[in-house]
Amino acid sequence: MSVLDRFSLKGKKALVYAPQFEFGTDVASGLAEAGAQVWLCGEDKAALDAAAAEMAAAGVPAAGVHEYHQGTEEAAQALAAFVKSEMGGLDVYVDNGAQQHMTGWVHSYEEICRSFERAQLGLMLTVKNLGTILAEQGSGSVIFLTDYTALVGCDVHNYKDCPEEFEKDFSVDNSYIKGSYVNYARQAAGYLGEANCRCNAIAFGPKAGTKPESFNEAFIKHSHIRHLASAEDVKGIAVFLASDASAFITGTTIPVDGGYTAK
Amino acid sequence: MNTFDLFSLKGKVALITGGRAMYGKGCTVALADAGAKVYLASHSVEAAQDYVNELRANGGDVEAIAFNQRDVKSIDAMVREVVEKEGRIDVFVHCSRIIPKGTGIGWFQDEAQLTDDVNVNSAASLYMTHIVGEQMIKQGSGSIVTFGSMMGLVGVEKHNYDGEPGMGDGAYGHAYALCKSGLTAWVRNAASYYGRYGVRINAVCPGGLESDRTPPIFKKNYSDHTQIGRLANGDDIKGPLLFLASDASAYLTGLSIPVDGGYTCM
Repeated sequence: MSVLDRFSLKGKKALVYAPQFEFGTDVASGLAEAGAQVWLCGEDKAALDAAAAEMAAAGVPAAGVHEYHQGTEEAAQALAAFVKSEMGGLDVYVDNGAQQHMTGWVHSYEEICRSFERAQLGLMLTVKNLGTILAEQGSGSVIFLTDYTALVGCDVHNYKDCPEEFEKDFSVDNSYIKGSYVNYARQAAGYLGEANCRCNAIAFGPKAGTKPESFNEAFIKHSHIRHLASAEDVKGIAVFLASDASAFITGTTIPVDGGYTAK
Repeated sequence: MNTFDLFSLKGKVALITGGRAMYGKGCTVALADAGAKVYLASHSVEAAQDYVNELRANGGDVEAIAFNQRDVKSIDAMVREVVEKEGRIDVFVHCSRIIPKGTGIGWFQDEAQLTDDVNVNSAASLYMTHIVGEQMIKQGSGSIVTFGSMMGLVGVEKHNYDGEPGMGDGAYGHAYALCKSGLTAWVRNAASYYGRYGVRINAVCPGGLESDRTPPIFKKNYSDHTQIGRLANGDDIKGPLLFLASDASAYLTGLSIPVDGGYTCM
Protein backbone atom coordinates (compact mmCIF):
# COMPACT_ATOMS: atom_id res chain seq x y z
CA MET A 1 0.00 0.00 0.00
CA SER A 2 1.29 3.43 -0.94
CA VAL A 3 1.55 5.87 1.90
CA LEU A 4 -0.89 8.09 0.02
CA ASP A 5 -3.47 5.30 0.14
CA ARG A 6 -3.36 5.49 3.90
CA PHE A 7 -4.90 8.97 3.70
CA SER A 8 -7.84 7.71 1.65
CA LEU A 9 -11.26 7.59 3.30
CA LYS A 10 -12.89 5.62 0.49
CA GLY A 11 -15.63 3.37 1.84
CA LYS A 12 -15.65 5.16 5.23
CA LYS A 13 -18.65 6.79 6.85
CA ALA A 14 -18.29 10.03 8.75
CA LEU A 15 -20.64 12.11 10.88
CA VAL A 16 -19.93 15.79 11.62
CA TYR A 17 -21.74 17.55 14.47
CA ALA A 18 -22.45 21.30 14.18
CA PRO A 19 -20.86 21.81 10.74
CA GLN A 20 -22.16 25.36 10.41
CA PHE A 21 -19.66 26.74 12.88
CA GLU A 22 -16.10 27.76 12.05
CA PHE A 23 -14.06 24.85 10.64
CA GLY A 24 -17.05 22.45 10.43
CA THR A 25 -17.94 22.67 6.74
CA ASP A 26 -14.28 22.67 5.75
CA VAL A 27 -13.71 19.50 7.75
CA ALA A 28 -16.82 17.84 6.30
CA SER A 29 -15.77 18.82 2.77
CA GLY A 30 -12.24 17.58 3.36
CA LEU A 31 -13.47 14.19 4.53
CA ALA A 32 -15.74 13.95 1.50
CA GLU A 33 -12.92 14.98 -0.87
CA ALA A 34 -10.86 12.15 0.61
CA GLY A 35 -13.61 9.69 -0.29
CA ALA A 36 -15.79 9.42 2.80
CA GLN A 37 -19.56 9.48 2.82
CA VAL A 38 -20.32 12.39 5.15
CA TRP A 39 -23.48 13.01 7.16
CA LEU A 40 -24.12 16.26 9.01
CA CYS A 41 -25.97 16.57 12.31
CA GLY A 42 -26.91 19.33 14.74
CA GLU A 43 -29.71 21.33 16.31
CA ASP A 44 -30.38 23.81 13.51
CA LYS A 45 -31.92 22.06 10.49
CA ALA A 46 -31.71 25.17 8.30
CA ALA A 47 -28.01 25.55 9.10
CA LEU A 48 -27.42 21.87 8.32
CA ASP A 49 -29.16 22.28 4.98
CA ALA A 50 -27.07 25.36 4.23
CA ALA A 51 -23.86 23.48 5.07
CA ALA A 52 -24.99 20.61 2.85
CA ALA A 53 -25.73 23.05 0.04
CA GLU A 54 -22.27 24.56 0.41
CA MET A 55 -20.72 21.10 0.15
CA ALA A 56 -22.84 20.27 -2.89
CA ALA A 57 -21.81 23.51 -4.59
CA ALA A 58 -18.19 22.55 -3.97
CA GLY A 59 -18.77 19.21 -5.70
CA VAL A 60 -18.67 17.07 -2.57
CA PRO A 61 -22.32 16.58 -1.55
CA ALA A 62 -23.18 15.36 1.92
CA ALA A 63 -24.77 11.92 2.18
CA GLY A 64 -27.46 13.33 4.43
CA VAL A 65 -28.38 15.63 7.30
CA HIS A 66 -29.89 14.67 10.63
CA GLU A 67 -31.40 16.96 13.26
CA TYR A 68 -29.78 16.19 16.60
CA HIS A 69 -30.47 18.12 19.80
CA GLN A 70 -27.43 17.27 21.88
CA GLY A 71 -27.74 17.20 25.66
CA THR A 72 -29.75 14.16 26.73
CA GLU A 73 -29.18 10.42 26.85
CA GLU A 74 -32.38 9.85 24.92
CA ALA A 75 -31.20 12.08 22.06
CA ALA A 76 -27.74 10.49 22.02
CA GLN A 77 -29.26 7.01 21.90
CA ALA A 78 -31.51 8.09 19.04
CA LEU A 79 -28.46 9.41 17.19
CA ALA A 80 -26.72 6.07 17.72
CA ALA A 81 -29.79 4.32 16.33
CA PHE A 82 -29.71 6.63 13.29
CA VAL A 83 -26.04 5.80 12.76
CA LYS A 84 -26.79 2.08 12.78
CA SER A 85 -29.99 2.06 10.76
CA GLU A 86 -29.63 4.96 8.34
CA MET A 87 -25.88 5.36 7.94
CA GLY A 88 -25.18 1.65 8.21
CA GLY A 89 -22.22 2.21 10.55
CA LEU A 90 -19.67 4.83 11.52
CA ASP A 91 -15.93 5.19 11.00
CA VAL A 92 -15.31 8.84 11.86
CA TYR A 93 -17.11 11.13 14.28
CA VAL A 94 -16.26 14.83 14.32
CA ASP A 95 -17.53 17.08 17.13
CA ASN A 96 -17.59 20.80 16.34
CA GLY A 97 -19.65 21.86 19.34
CA ALA A 98 -16.90 23.93 20.91
CA GLN A 99 -17.78 27.04 18.96
CA GLN A 100 -21.17 27.40 20.68
CA HIS A 101 -20.55 29.52 23.73
CA MET A 102 -21.86 32.68 25.35
CA THR A 103 -20.68 36.27 25.01
CA GLY A 104 -19.34 38.33 27.91
CA TRP A 105 -17.66 37.47 31.18
CA VAL A 106 -20.38 37.77 33.84
CA HIS A 107 -23.31 35.35 33.66
CA SER A 108 -25.88 33.81 35.97
CA TYR A 109 -25.53 30.26 37.21
CA GLU A 110 -28.51 29.24 35.10
CA GLU A 111 -26.90 30.58 31.93
CA ILE A 112 -23.65 28.77 32.65
CA CYS A 113 -25.58 25.57 33.36
CA ARG A 114 -27.48 25.75 30.08
CA SER A 115 -24.26 26.30 28.18
CA PHE A 116 -22.49 23.39 29.88
CA GLU A 117 -25.44 21.03 29.57
CA ARG A 118 -25.25 21.37 25.82
CA ALA A 119 -21.50 21.60 25.41
CA GLN A 120 -20.13 19.31 28.12
CA LEU A 121 -23.00 16.97 28.99
CA GLY A 122 -24.04 16.69 25.37
CA LEU A 123 -20.50 15.97 24.26
CA MET A 124 -20.02 13.20 26.83
CA LEU A 125 -23.34 11.51 26.07
CA THR A 126 -22.66 11.64 22.34
CA VAL A 127 -19.14 10.28 22.67
CA LYS A 128 -20.30 7.55 25.04
CA ASN A 129 -23.01 6.33 22.68
CA LEU A 130 -21.15 6.69 19.38
CA GLY A 131 -17.86 5.53 20.93
CA THR A 132 -19.60 2.38 22.04
CA ILE A 133 -20.58 1.69 18.41
CA LEU A 134 -16.97 2.18 17.31
CA ALA A 135 -15.70 -0.04 20.11
CA GLU A 136 -18.11 -2.81 19.17
CA GLN A 137 -16.89 -2.80 15.58
CA GLY A 138 -13.24 -2.53 16.65
CA SER A 139 -12.25 0.50 14.60
CA GLY A 140 -12.92 4.19 14.22
CA SER A 141 -11.67 7.69 14.84
CA VAL A 142 -13.20 10.41 17.02
CA ILE A 143 -12.05 13.96 16.34
CA PHE A 144 -12.77 17.01 18.49
CA LEU A 145 -12.52 20.43 16.88
CA THR A 146 -11.45 23.12 19.30
CA ASP A 147 -9.21 26.15 19.03
CA TYR A 148 -6.05 27.69 20.36
CA THR A 149 -7.81 29.02 23.48
CA ALA A 150 -7.81 25.43 24.73
CA LEU A 151 -4.03 25.69 24.95
CA VAL A 152 -3.32 29.32 25.89
CA GLY A 153 -5.31 32.20 27.30
CA CYS A 154 -6.54 34.88 24.94
CA ASP A 155 -4.22 37.87 24.70
CA VAL A 156 -6.06 41.04 25.71
CA HIS A 157 -3.68 43.08 23.55
CA ASN A 158 -4.97 41.34 20.41
CA TYR A 159 -8.38 42.94 20.97
CA LYS A 160 -7.30 46.55 21.35
CA ASP A 161 -9.36 47.74 18.38
CA CYS A 162 -12.15 45.16 18.40
CA PRO A 163 -14.13 45.21 21.69
CA GLU A 164 -16.94 43.06 20.26
CA GLU A 165 -14.48 40.29 19.55
CA PHE A 166 -13.13 40.69 23.07
CA GLU A 167 -16.58 40.04 24.54
CA LYS A 168 -16.88 36.91 22.43
CA ASP A 169 -13.52 35.35 23.19
CA PHE A 170 -13.54 36.44 26.83
CA SER A 171 -16.91 34.87 27.49
CA VAL A 172 -16.80 33.07 30.80
CA ASP A 173 -17.51 29.63 29.33
CA ASN A 174 -15.42 29.86 26.14
CA SER A 175 -12.06 28.47 27.21
CA TYR A 176 -13.65 26.13 29.77
CA ILE A 177 -15.62 24.44 26.98
CA LYS A 178 -12.77 24.47 24.50
CA GLY A 179 -10.22 23.32 27.03
CA SER A 180 -12.41 20.40 28.08
CA TYR A 181 -11.60 18.63 24.86
CA VAL A 182 -7.87 18.41 25.49
CA ASN A 183 -7.81 15.97 28.36
CA TYR A 184 -11.14 14.43 27.42
CA ALA A 185 -9.40 13.28 24.23
CA ARG A 186 -6.73 11.62 26.37
CA GLN A 187 -9.30 10.05 28.67
CA ALA A 188 -11.58 8.78 25.88
CA ALA A 189 -8.50 7.45 24.08
CA GLY A 190 -8.14 5.00 26.98
CA TYR A 191 -11.47 3.25 26.57
CA LEU A 192 -11.46 3.50 22.78
CA GLY A 193 -7.86 2.33 22.53
CA GLU A 194 -8.71 -1.01 24.07
CA ALA A 195 -10.97 -1.53 21.05
CA ASN A 196 -8.47 -0.27 18.48
CA CYS A 197 -10.28 3.05 18.14
CA ARG A 198 -8.75 6.51 18.47
CA CYS A 199 -9.64 9.93 19.81
CA ASN A 200 -7.79 13.17 19.08
CA ALA A 201 -8.44 16.90 19.09
CA ILE A 202 -7.43 19.72 16.77
CA ALA A 203 -6.78 23.19 18.20
CA PHE A 204 -7.13 25.59 15.29
CA GLY A 205 -5.99 29.14 15.09
CA PRO A 206 -8.62 31.56 13.72
CA LYS A 207 -9.64 30.97 10.12
CA ALA A 208 -8.98 33.72 7.62
CA GLY A 209 -12.01 35.93 7.11
CA THR A 210 -13.66 35.26 10.46
CA LYS A 211 -12.15 37.96 12.68
CA PRO A 212 -11.60 41.74 12.41
CA GLU A 213 -8.48 42.79 10.54
CA SER A 214 -6.90 44.39 13.61
CA PHE A 215 -7.17 41.10 15.47
CA ASN A 216 -5.78 39.19 12.51
CA GLU A 217 -2.75 41.45 12.33
CA ALA A 218 -2.06 41.05 16.04
CA PHE A 219 -2.52 37.27 15.89
CA ILE A 220 -0.25 36.87 12.87
CA LYS A 221 2.37 39.06 14.51
CA HIS A 222 2.59 36.48 17.30
CA SER A 223 2.64 33.48 14.93
CA HIS A 224 5.53 31.80 13.15
CA ILE A 225 3.65 31.43 9.86
CA ARG A 226 2.48 34.76 8.55
CA HIS A 227 -1.12 34.02 7.71
CA LEU A 228 -4.31 32.70 9.31
CA ALA A 229 -5.68 29.20 8.74
CA SER A 230 -7.04 28.49 5.26
CA ALA A 231 -9.68 25.93 4.31
CA GLU A 232 -6.89 23.66 3.06
CA ASP A 233 -5.11 23.91 6.42
CA VAL A 234 -8.31 22.77 8.12
CA LYS A 235 -9.01 19.93 5.68
CA GLY A 236 -5.50 18.49 5.77
CA ILE A 237 -5.32 17.83 9.49
CA ALA A 238 -8.89 16.49 9.57
CA VAL A 239 -8.22 13.94 6.83
CA PHE A 240 -4.96 12.97 8.53
CA LEU A 241 -6.62 12.26 11.88
CA ALA A 242 -9.64 10.55 10.29
CA SER A 243 -7.54 8.24 8.14
CA ASP A 244 -5.22 5.30 8.70
CA ALA A 245 -2.29 7.65 8.11
CA SER A 246 -2.59 8.49 11.81
CA ALA A 247 -3.38 4.94 12.95
CA PHE A 248 -0.88 5.09 15.83
CA ILE A 249 -1.85 8.55 17.05
CA THR A 250 -4.38 8.87 19.84
CA GLY A 251 -5.08 11.08 22.84
CA THR A 252 -3.39 14.10 21.27
CA THR A 253 -4.39 17.69 20.70
CA ILE A 254 -2.68 19.02 17.61
CA PRO A 255 -2.32 22.81 17.31
CA VAL A 256 -2.99 24.02 13.76
CA ASP A 257 -2.36 27.68 14.41
CA GLY A 258 0.68 28.75 12.43
CA GLY A 259 2.80 28.39 15.52
CA TYR A 260 0.87 30.89 17.66
CA THR A 261 0.94 28.60 20.70
CA ALA A 262 4.53 27.56 20.05
CA LYS A 263 5.97 30.78 21.40
CA MET B 1 11.06 42.80 53.16
CA ASN B 2 12.25 39.49 54.47
CA THR B 3 11.58 36.71 52.00
CA PHE B 4 9.53 34.79 54.54
CA ASP B 5 7.23 37.79 54.88
CA LEU B 6 6.18 37.27 51.27
CA PHE B 7 4.41 34.10 52.37
CA SER B 8 2.52 35.83 55.17
CA LEU B 9 -1.24 36.29 54.92
CA LYS B 10 -1.46 38.51 57.99
CA GLY B 11 -4.28 41.03 57.60
CA LYS B 12 -5.74 39.14 54.64
CA VAL B 13 -9.17 37.60 54.34
CA ALA B 14 -9.36 34.12 52.88
CA LEU B 15 -12.42 32.16 51.84
CA ILE B 16 -12.09 28.43 51.28
CA THR B 17 -14.72 25.96 50.10
CA GLY B 18 -14.28 22.30 50.90
CA GLY B 19 -11.74 23.13 53.55
CA ARG B 20 -12.47 20.52 56.18
CA ALA B 21 -11.66 17.23 54.43
CA MET B 22 -9.23 15.63 52.03
CA TYR B 23 -6.87 18.17 50.44
CA GLY B 24 -8.96 21.05 51.76
CA LYS B 25 -8.03 20.25 55.33
CA GLY B 26 -4.37 20.97 54.71
CA CYS B 27 -5.23 24.11 52.76
CA THR B 28 -7.21 25.56 55.66
CA VAL B 29 -4.32 24.88 58.04
CA ALA B 30 -1.91 26.60 55.66
CA LEU B 31 -4.12 29.70 55.38
CA ALA B 32 -4.58 29.88 59.15
CA ASP B 33 -0.93 29.23 59.93
CA ALA B 34 0.03 32.06 57.57
CA GLY B 35 -2.11 34.48 59.57
CA ALA B 36 -5.19 34.97 57.38
CA LYS B 37 -8.67 35.48 58.70
CA VAL B 38 -10.15 32.29 57.27
CA TYR B 39 -13.77 31.64 56.37
CA LEU B 40 -14.25 27.92 55.98
CA ALA B 41 -17.34 27.33 53.85
CA SER B 42 -18.88 23.95 54.42
CA HIS B 43 -22.17 22.25 53.60
CA SER B 44 -22.31 21.33 57.27
CA VAL B 45 -21.34 24.15 59.62
CA GLU B 46 -21.89 21.80 62.56
CA ALA B 47 -19.48 19.24 61.15
CA ALA B 48 -16.95 21.96 60.35
CA GLN B 49 -17.15 23.46 63.82
CA ASP B 50 -15.02 20.76 65.47
CA TYR B 51 -12.29 21.40 62.95
CA VAL B 52 -12.64 25.15 63.39
CA ASN B 53 -12.30 24.75 67.15
CA GLU B 54 -9.17 22.67 66.65
CA LEU B 55 -7.63 25.36 64.43
CA ARG B 56 -8.58 28.09 66.87
CA ALA B 57 -6.93 26.15 69.70
CA ASN B 58 -3.74 26.33 67.64
CA GLY B 59 -4.06 30.10 67.21
CA GLY B 60 -5.94 30.21 63.93
CA ASP B 61 -8.54 32.89 63.21
CA VAL B 62 -11.09 30.67 61.53
CA GLU B 63 -14.85 30.87 61.16
CA ALA B 64 -17.24 28.36 59.62
CA ILE B 65 -19.94 29.54 57.25
CA ALA B 66 -22.70 27.67 55.46
CA PHE B 67 -22.36 26.72 51.84
CA ASN B 68 -23.94 24.16 49.55
CA GLN B 69 -22.42 23.81 46.09
CA ARG B 70 -25.68 22.40 44.78
CA ASP B 71 -27.54 25.59 45.69
CA VAL B 72 -26.70 28.81 43.85
CA LYS B 73 -28.46 30.92 46.47
CA SER B 74 -26.14 29.53 49.10
CA ILE B 75 -23.14 30.35 46.90
CA ASP B 76 -24.32 33.95 46.55
CA ALA B 77 -24.99 34.14 50.31
CA MET B 78 -21.54 32.76 51.15
CA VAL B 79 -19.75 35.42 49.12
CA ARG B 80 -22.08 38.16 50.34
CA GLU B 81 -21.56 37.19 53.98
CA VAL B 82 -17.78 37.42 53.80
CA VAL B 83 -17.87 40.72 51.91
CA GLU B 84 -20.40 42.20 54.36
CA LYS B 85 -18.30 41.17 57.34
CA GLU B 86 -14.84 41.96 56.00
CA GLY B 87 -15.39 44.25 53.05
CA ARG B 88 -13.08 42.15 50.90
CA ILE B 89 -11.84 38.73 49.90
CA ASP B 90 -8.09 38.62 49.36
CA VAL B 91 -7.71 34.89 48.82
CA PHE B 92 -10.24 32.46 47.45
CA VAL B 93 -9.46 28.76 47.55
CA HIS B 94 -12.00 26.54 45.82
CA CYS B 95 -11.44 22.87 46.51
CA SER B 96 -14.95 21.58 47.11
CA ARG B 97 -16.58 19.12 44.78
CA ILE B 98 -19.56 16.84 45.04
CA ILE B 99 -19.75 13.12 44.36
CA PRO B 100 -22.25 12.97 41.51
CA LYS B 101 -25.46 11.02 42.06
CA GLY B 102 -26.17 8.18 39.69
CA THR B 103 -25.68 4.52 38.99
CA GLY B 104 -23.48 4.15 35.92
CA ILE B 105 -19.79 3.37 36.08
CA GLY B 106 -16.75 4.22 33.97
CA TRP B 107 -17.47 4.70 30.28
CA PHE B 108 -21.11 3.94 31.04
CA GLN B 109 -21.67 6.74 33.55
CA ASP B 110 -25.37 7.52 33.35
CA GLU B 111 -27.04 10.78 32.41
CA ALA B 112 -27.88 11.64 36.03
CA GLN B 113 -24.23 11.40 37.07
CA LEU B 114 -22.94 13.39 34.14
CA THR B 115 -25.60 16.06 34.63
CA ASP B 116 -24.78 16.38 38.33
CA ASP B 117 -21.10 16.65 37.55
CA VAL B 118 -21.61 19.29 34.88
CA ASN B 119 -24.13 21.38 36.83
CA VAL B 120 -22.34 21.29 40.17
CA ASN B 121 -18.68 20.51 39.65
CA SER B 122 -18.32 22.51 36.42
CA ALA B 123 -21.02 25.18 36.32
CA ALA B 124 -21.28 26.00 40.03
CA SER B 125 -17.50 26.05 40.39
CA LEU B 126 -17.15 28.42 37.47
CA TYR B 127 -20.00 30.57 38.73
CA MET B 128 -18.66 30.96 42.27
CA THR B 129 -15.11 31.61 41.10
CA HIS B 130 -16.17 34.33 38.70
CA ILE B 131 -18.39 36.13 41.22
CA VAL B 132 -15.51 36.16 43.70
CA GLY B 133 -13.40 37.43 40.82
CA GLU B 134 -15.83 40.32 40.34
CA GLN B 135 -15.36 41.26 43.99
CA MET B 136 -11.58 41.13 43.59
CA ILE B 137 -11.80 43.35 40.50
CA LYS B 138 -13.59 45.95 42.66
CA GLN B 139 -10.78 45.69 45.19
CA GLY B 140 -8.08 45.81 42.53
CA SER B 141 -6.32 42.82 44.04
CA GLY B 142 -6.75 39.18 45.02
CA SER B 143 -5.50 35.68 44.50
CA ILE B 144 -7.69 32.79 43.43
CA VAL B 145 -6.43 29.24 43.82
CA THR B 146 -8.67 26.62 42.33
CA PHE B 147 -8.35 22.86 42.25
CA GLY B 148 -7.60 21.09 39.03
CA SER B 149 -6.26 17.58 39.09
CA MET B 150 -3.50 15.58 37.53
CA MET B 151 -6.48 13.76 35.97
CA GLY B 152 -7.14 16.97 34.08
CA LEU B 153 -3.63 16.82 32.64
CA VAL B 154 -3.33 13.19 31.57
CA GLY B 155 -5.65 10.33 30.73
CA VAL B 156 -6.17 7.48 33.13
CA GLU B 157 -3.63 4.68 33.59
CA LYS B 158 -5.85 1.65 33.95
CA HIS B 159 -3.02 -0.53 35.22
CA ASN B 160 -3.01 1.48 38.42
CA TYR B 161 -6.10 -0.53 39.26
CA ASP B 162 -4.64 -3.95 38.51
CA GLY B 163 -5.63 -6.22 41.38
CA GLU B 164 -8.53 -3.93 42.32
CA PRO B 165 -11.16 -4.69 39.67
CA GLY B 166 -13.84 -2.67 41.46
CA MET B 167 -11.76 0.49 41.08
CA GLY B 168 -10.71 -0.43 37.56
CA ASP B 169 -14.29 -0.58 36.35
CA GLY B 170 -14.56 3.13 36.97
CA ALA B 171 -11.32 4.04 35.25
CA TYR B 172 -12.79 5.29 31.99
CA GLY B 173 -15.30 7.75 33.43
CA HIS B 174 -16.03 10.85 31.36
CA ALA B 175 -16.81 13.82 33.55
CA TYR B 176 -13.88 14.21 35.90
CA ALA B 177 -11.22 14.33 33.18
CA LEU B 178 -13.34 16.61 31.01
CA CYS B 179 -14.24 19.08 33.77
CA LYS B 180 -10.72 19.33 35.16
CA SER B 181 -9.33 19.75 31.65
CA GLY B 182 -11.68 22.65 31.02
CA LEU B 183 -10.69 24.23 34.29
CA THR B 184 -7.02 24.24 33.35
CA ALA B 185 -7.74 26.13 30.12
CA TRP B 186 -10.16 28.46 31.87
CA VAL B 187 -7.54 29.41 34.47
CA ARG B 188 -5.28 30.61 31.65
CA ASN B 189 -8.00 32.69 30.03
CA ALA B 190 -9.24 34.02 33.38
CA ALA B 191 -5.69 35.03 34.27
CA SER B 192 -5.57 37.01 31.06
CA TYR B 193 -8.92 38.64 31.84
CA TYR B 194 -8.16 39.42 35.50
CA GLY B 195 -4.53 40.44 35.06
CA ARG B 196 -5.44 44.03 34.17
CA TYR B 197 -7.20 44.38 37.51
CA GLY B 198 -4.41 43.09 39.72
CA VAL B 199 -6.17 39.78 40.29
CA ARG B 200 -4.30 36.50 39.90
CA ILE B 201 -5.68 33.02 39.37
CA ASN B 202 -3.83 29.73 39.43
CA ALA B 203 -4.67 26.09 39.96
CA VAL B 204 -3.07 23.26 41.82
CA CYS B 205 -3.41 19.87 40.17
CA PRO B 206 -2.91 17.28 42.89
CA GLY B 207 -2.38 13.59 42.40
CA GLY B 208 -3.86 10.76 44.45
CA LEU B 209 -4.13 11.36 48.19
CA GLU B 210 -3.42 8.46 50.50
CA SER B 211 -6.03 7.70 53.11
CA ASP B 212 -6.75 4.84 55.50
CA ARG B 213 -9.09 3.48 52.81
CA THR B 214 -6.47 3.30 50.05
CA PRO B 215 -6.11 -0.33 48.92
CA PRO B 216 -2.46 -1.49 49.29
CA ILE B 217 -2.24 -2.82 45.74
CA PHE B 218 -3.46 0.49 44.32
CA LYS B 219 -1.00 2.31 46.54
CA LYS B 220 1.87 0.27 45.10
CA ASN B 221 0.70 0.50 41.48
CA TYR B 222 0.12 4.24 41.66
CA SER B 223 3.31 4.98 43.58
CA ASP B 224 5.29 3.18 40.87
CA HIS B 225 3.97 5.77 38.41
CA THR B 226 5.30 8.72 40.39
CA GLN B 227 8.85 10.04 40.44
CA ILE B 228 8.81 10.40 44.21
CA GLY B 229 7.46 6.91 44.73
CA ARG B 230 4.41 7.52 46.88
CA LEU B 231 0.88 8.90 47.04
CA ALA B 232 0.38 12.40 48.42
CA ASN B 233 -0.11 13.01 52.09
CA GLY B 234 -2.16 15.76 53.69
CA ASP B 235 0.84 18.05 54.12
CA ASP B 236 1.99 18.03 50.49
CA ILE B 237 -0.57 20.59 49.38
CA LYS B 238 0.18 23.15 52.08
CA GLY B 239 3.33 24.65 50.56
CA PRO B 240 2.04 25.00 46.98
CA LEU B 241 -1.28 26.39 48.24
CA LEU B 242 0.31 29.03 50.44
CA PHE B 243 2.80 29.94 47.73
CA LEU B 244 0.00 30.60 45.23
CA ALA B 245 -2.24 32.35 47.76
CA SER B 246 0.45 34.73 48.98
CA ASP B 247 2.54 37.53 47.50
CA ALA B 248 5.40 35.06 47.16
CA SER B 249 3.81 34.22 43.79
CA ALA B 250 2.90 37.82 42.88
CA TYR B 251 4.23 37.41 39.32
CA LEU B 252 2.60 34.03 38.68
CA THR B 253 -0.81 33.75 37.08
CA GLY B 254 -2.62 31.35 34.76
CA LEU B 255 -0.68 28.33 35.92
CA SER B 256 -1.90 24.85 36.73
CA ILE B 257 0.79 23.38 38.92
CA PRO B 258 0.90 19.61 39.25
CA VAL B 259 1.36 18.55 42.88
CA ASP B 260 1.60 14.90 42.04
CA GLY B 261 5.03 13.57 42.95
CA GLY B 262 6.01 13.70 39.30
CA TYR B 263 3.17 11.50 38.04
CA THR B 264 2.47 13.66 35.01
CA CYS B 265 6.08 14.20 34.00
CA MET B 266 6.74 10.64 32.91
